[in-house]
Amino acid sequence: MSGSTGISRFLPSGKTLVIAIPVIWLLVFFLIPFAVVFKLSLSEAAIARPPYLPIMEWDEEGILTFALNISNYFYLLEDDLYLSAYLQSMRIAFISTALCLLIAYPMSLAIARATPAKRNLLLMLVILPFWTSFLLRVYAWIGILKTNGLLNNSLMWLGLIDQPLAIMQTDIAVYIGVVYTYLPFMILPLYTSLVKQDGALLEAAADLGARPVAAFFSVTFPLSFPGMAAGCLLVFIPVVGEFVIPALLGGPDTLMIGKVLWSEFFSNRDWPVASAVATVMLVVLVVPIMLLRLAQQADEVQA
Amino acid sequence: MTDKAISPFDSQPWKDPSNEPFIRIRGISRHYGAVKAVDSVDLDIYKGELFCLLGGSGSGKTTLLRMLCGFETPTSGVIEIDGQDMSDVPPYKRPVNMMFQSYALFPHMTVAKNIGYGLAREGMPKAQINDRVDELLTMVQLSNLGSRKPNQLSGGQRQRVALARALAKKPKLLLLDEPLGALDKKLREETQFELMKLQDELGVTFVVVTHDQEEAMTLASRVAVMDGGKLVQVATPRDVYEYPNSRFVADFIGGVNLFEGRVTADEENHMKLDSPEAGLEIHVGHGVSCSSGQRMWYGLRPEKIRLAKERPDQPHNVVEGTVEEVAYMGSLSVYRVNLDSGKQIKVTMPNLDRANDNPILWDQRVFVSWGSSAGVVLPL
Repeated sequence: MSGSTGISRFLPSGKTLVIAIPVIWLLVFFLIPFAVVFKLSLSEAAIARPPYLPIMEWDEEGILTFALNISNYFYLLEDDLYLSAYLQSMRIAFISTALCLLIAYPMSLAIARATPAKRNLLLMLVILPFWTSFLLRVYAWIGILKTNGLLNNSLMWLGLIDQPLAIMQTDIAVYIGVVYTYLPFMILPLYTSLVKQDGALLEAAADLGARPVAAFFSVTFPLSFPGMAAGCLLVFIPVVGEFVIPALLGGPDTLMIGKVLWSEFFSNRDWPVASAVATVMLVVLVVPIMLLRLAQQADEVQA
Repeated sequence: MTDKAISPFDSQPWKDPSNEPFIRIRGISRHYGAVKAVDSVDLDIYKGELFCLLGGSGSGKTTLLRMLCGFETPTSGVIEIDGQDMSDVPPYKRPVNMMFQSYALFPHMTVAKNIGYGLAREGMPKAQINDRVDELLTMVQLSNLGSRKPNQLSGGQRQRVALARALAKKPKLLLLDEPLGALDKKLREETQFELMKLQDELGVTFVVVTHDQEEAMTLASRVAVMDGGKLVQVATPRDVYEYPNSRFVADFIGGVNLFEGRVTADEENHMKLDSPEAGLEIHVGHGVSCSSGQRMWYGLRPEKIRLAKERPDQPHNVVEGTVEEVAYMGSLSVYRVNLDSGKQIKVTMPNLDRANDNPILWDQRVFVSWGSSAGVVLPL
């Protein structure tokens, strides 16, 4: 009652302020840059500085003209380099996400079921790599995977192989790098959803005659779907646009959209096409997320 | 034995030594480091009983229950259910179902799927599961809610689902962990009688854990009072109330006024306790195994004491005091009376008439009296 009298009526309430902070953050650091990129994608490339023509111009007679150029998007369809880069990015992201899930699930389960003291230690170990630079860690993988690197030398020394394995500059190296880098992003949400599950549910399942494996698949696993979905999104989305790992560990065949984007910007200096590539990537990623979100909301409303 | 018991409470299988107990607990202990959660418990529970484990928090009652269904492994001792040693039997193979305190309903399954869960694990055909689930839903009066999820139900409804799920596999033994804890008073009472009815109809053996002595008194054929991991007394609710074997039990079950006294006369048909605390020599109308001069407790339930304005016509057990406080509770009134010895006691008396012309009020001088068999003599 008291808040709605006098001048305080015109000031934002505490709730509005709290919500305003992330909204402003997203506006400034996501929405506005994206608008800039989108605008760029509709302009025409030019040998100039910056290397594109403005889409809005006053001509001599003082008439404002808009020149919206959607040919950049058609160009993406014409050259199948872009389509195959998108598809390969998707494939690599999909397989990496699946591998991450496969590795992270047992780890998360083990951490969630450990005693509280051990649990904190194990979580620390999962988070620890973040304390060193991501770039350094990827370079370290080069040292491990290259022809006369740590892995090959050890295997040869053990006599398991007599020819070095060609892992560097293949898709396998990219998978290793991606799974290694993004594993914590899968483990943490999975762990969170597993650790908050009520232990009594598993006891109830056992009490009703479910063996441990059956209890896992009928109770633990379905209840961890939200954690799995969150982890998969956290891995899949950044991997699709990943640039550093395929650039450092991948070979010339590893064609990912992040690399294409980079070369459009910096090698070809075709900013409009590069922006179009980025816009399409965003749409391709955002649409499935929105669909997932809608499905989740429908589920919540039903519940 | 009688031919057939009308209700499980009419038969007293524990009194017949030739009866085989359904659950035989021998020397069961569960230690957590130095803490003895359950400490060498021996207990027999018979078929068709509604057995209550009663105790405060930390008394070990839940640990004992969890050992029955296999979630806790005994440190030592043996549990037999229906003649079978349970030591190496995992929870999912025991002929036991449990209703959890939190109900532990599967949140991602519908009510029907929850109830049918155990049957599906047995590999029962779908059509048969559906029939059994329908039958159980009718029994717990939730017929139209089978397709709901647990979070769409009220507390009372969830409790019914949990009960139906625990009964689905027709277990020989049903364990209930604080089954009525989360319900409001009215629903509790209803559910108590429903549980008793069910138990009677289905002939299942129930073991109920509760900290609520009223719940135990209403439900149980027998009550085991636990304290500090040990069984303190195992008896019928009436015996536990009227003949507690220790000060702890007398105090835990219902209210009690306790007086310390010294044995002054110890005859075959009566005894006398001199109690300065009560301000008189208490006359007990039966013999007690004790020795002269021994110090003992005298326990007196509030409802077994009478208050009067005139000295009652009886030779023993009359003492004077002043009413400190009167609380009207509807069916009865509760009085706090300061005896002339200085001791404060609690007395309850039924409100027999709607209007009392001559009520006992605050600061009233009263005569406090009780019969010679009203109280119980307890060891120190």
